[in-house]
Amino acid sequence: MKPSLIYLTFGSLISLLLGIIVTIIIPAAEPIGPSELARPYTEQELWGREIYKREGCHYCHTQQVRAPEANAVMIHKRGDIGPESAPGDYYYQSPVFWGTERQGPDLTHLASREGIGNNVAWHIQHFKTPRGISPGSLMPSFDYLSEAELQALTAYMLTLK
Amino acid sequence: MLPDTPDSASRRFLYSAIFWLLVPGLFGLTLATFLYLPATQDLIPLAIKPLLSFGRLRPAHVNIAIFGWLSQAYAGAILFVMPRLTRARLYSERLAHVNLWLWNLMIAAAMITLPMGMTQGREYAEMIWPLDLLLVANFVLLGINIWGAVLRRAEQKIYVSVWNFMASIIIFVPVYAVGNKIWDPSGAFTGMTDNIVNYFYVHNLFNSWFTTAGVGLALYLLPKATDKPLYSHRLALWGLWSVWTGQHHQLNSPAPDWLEYLTVVFSILAAVPTIAFMVNFFATLRGSWHKAADDVGLRFLATGAIFWALTCVQGVAQSFRTFSMYVHFTNWVVGHSHLAFVADYSFWAFGLIYFIVPKVVGRPIYSKKLMEWHYWLTTGGMTVFMITLWIAGLIQAQNWLSNSIPFIATVRSLQPYFMIRFFGGLTAGIGILCFAYNIWQTARQPSPESAASPVLAASGD
Repeated sequence: MKPSLIYLTFGSLISLLLGIIVTIIIPAAEPIGPSELARPYTEQELWGREIYKREGCHYCHTQQVRAPEANAVMIHKRGDIGPESAPGDYYYQSPVFWGTERQGPDLTHLASREGIGNNVAWHIQHFKTPRGISPGSLMPSFDYLSEAELQALTAYMLTLK
Repeated sequence: MLPDTPDSASRRFLYSAIFWLLVPGLFGLTLATFLYLPATQDLIPLAIKPLLSFGRLRPAHVNIAIFGWLSQAYAGAILFVMPRLTRARLYSERLAHVNLWLWNLMIAAAMITLPMGMTQGREYAEMIWPLDLLLVANFVLLGINIWGAVLRRAEQKIYVSVWNFMASIIIFVPVYAVGNKIWDPSGAFTGMTDNIVNYFYVHNLFNSWFTTAGVGLALYLLPKATDKPLYSHRLALWGLWSVWTGQHHQLNSPAPDWLEYLTVVFSILAAVPTIAFMVNFFATLRGSWHKAADDVGLRFLATGAIFWALTCVQGVAQSFRTFSMYVHFTNWVVGHSHLAFVADYSFWAFGLIYFIVPKVVGRPIYSKKLMEWHYWLTTGGMTVFMITLWIAGLIQAQNWLSNSIPFIATVRSLQPYFMIRFFGGLTAGIGILCFAYNIWQTARQPSPESAASPVLAASGD
């Protein structure tokens, strides 16, 4: 190989390697423990999380609250987005569902919301007929999920404190 | 199955790209219908409802568009360009055919697995583990043909496009491998790192593959279509610092602040190679704009470059934490991604296909009129589509800021925009049908419009 081809190859690879070190390995090396909100999932909650992933819920619902939009208090009324997300909140999650679009509301602190937080019946009905509960909603109806799947998905929703 | 005739693999790659373009087009229209008329989702029979669920169709739309359509169009164009710029045959035409079959196997499998809900759940990285491996194998095979042709070239001078292709493959293969955690079937990291790696990959999918190789292809076609030398041959080293900017897709996020500031600095620096390319492109085109009036391929290339400039302006603006805070998560971003993906890279691919297909089949494009329809319908439709989404995004952003409007009201207020977006997309889609039909007819038979004209030389470049 001509020197110029060797420069191209190694130049590209070295710049890529530097990029990986600086923007992935160094941030990953920061010691981040679980936050107060993070806790290990039960088997049912993990199954619910898998359903959330399979049905692509994260394409329309984010799970990250950015500092400028956050509400300071923990228990909040309907419509509030809740406190800012911390890296430790995601300690037990793989993959994470930060998301890039909000065709629907952010779900980070869904289970702390007044009225719907721990209301299992509300969640199940909402999965089955989203427009029946919330007219104008864009959400697909998940009436094709089995009763056990709906229960698992709801169990996962309730972990979103 | 594996012919050895020159340009046979290039031709098949282009045809197969056009076939796969129709699929994400149809999926996109379906998704746009669901947003415009959400109740249509309730009309789907229960048996196929899961397959057409929004959250399953969206990754199928995205993955088939990027890997089925655009990546195959790029591969076909690169396999056409390489022998001409190196003045030698491809390293192996048969290997390129193996590549083509494996590529189609991968896309066909993605087309089945994604609507079935088999996903790794990470944006742009949804394909399951065996398909990740197949994708890496495909890019390595393409890389062998690119690098093999360079090492056995008869033309000593390596043109800027070839540099771009080589660099693109070298960077993209490890980027994909790391970004998709190729050594682990789950394909996902844990916690914050998972998101950082995901968007490192997403950014570099566009930066190191679609932009680097796309710029190479544009800088090949431009001098050919204008019949003028390139204004400047200096290589702008695209990938080299944009590798650092992945995090600008997730600003104000729980990731470390220093990483976000770093990525902002590098995103602003990325304006330098962008401006270098724009100057080079438009200085070469200067004095030849009239050619774009007759040559639809050149017109697509130039229009794509104008949209590309807009993508970069938006891209840099969105890399600021303040502006990102405002538009991120809104439909503005959907408009931006279609600007980059459809209105520039796909427009370049249309231009390349209109240039290459006549050379590889040995006769002109079947219908000039259909080319005009394709250009005006697709350009017009996409322009309406994108502007509508940007406006919708700004309205959403302002509504969210007000804090007093219930979320569902901000959703309902988007309905008129989703309607206009649907019709914009439909118009662009009809243009794409004209394109696919036109190329299909070109492949099948001589044009009635120019049946008497002499046949173009098959090897002409």
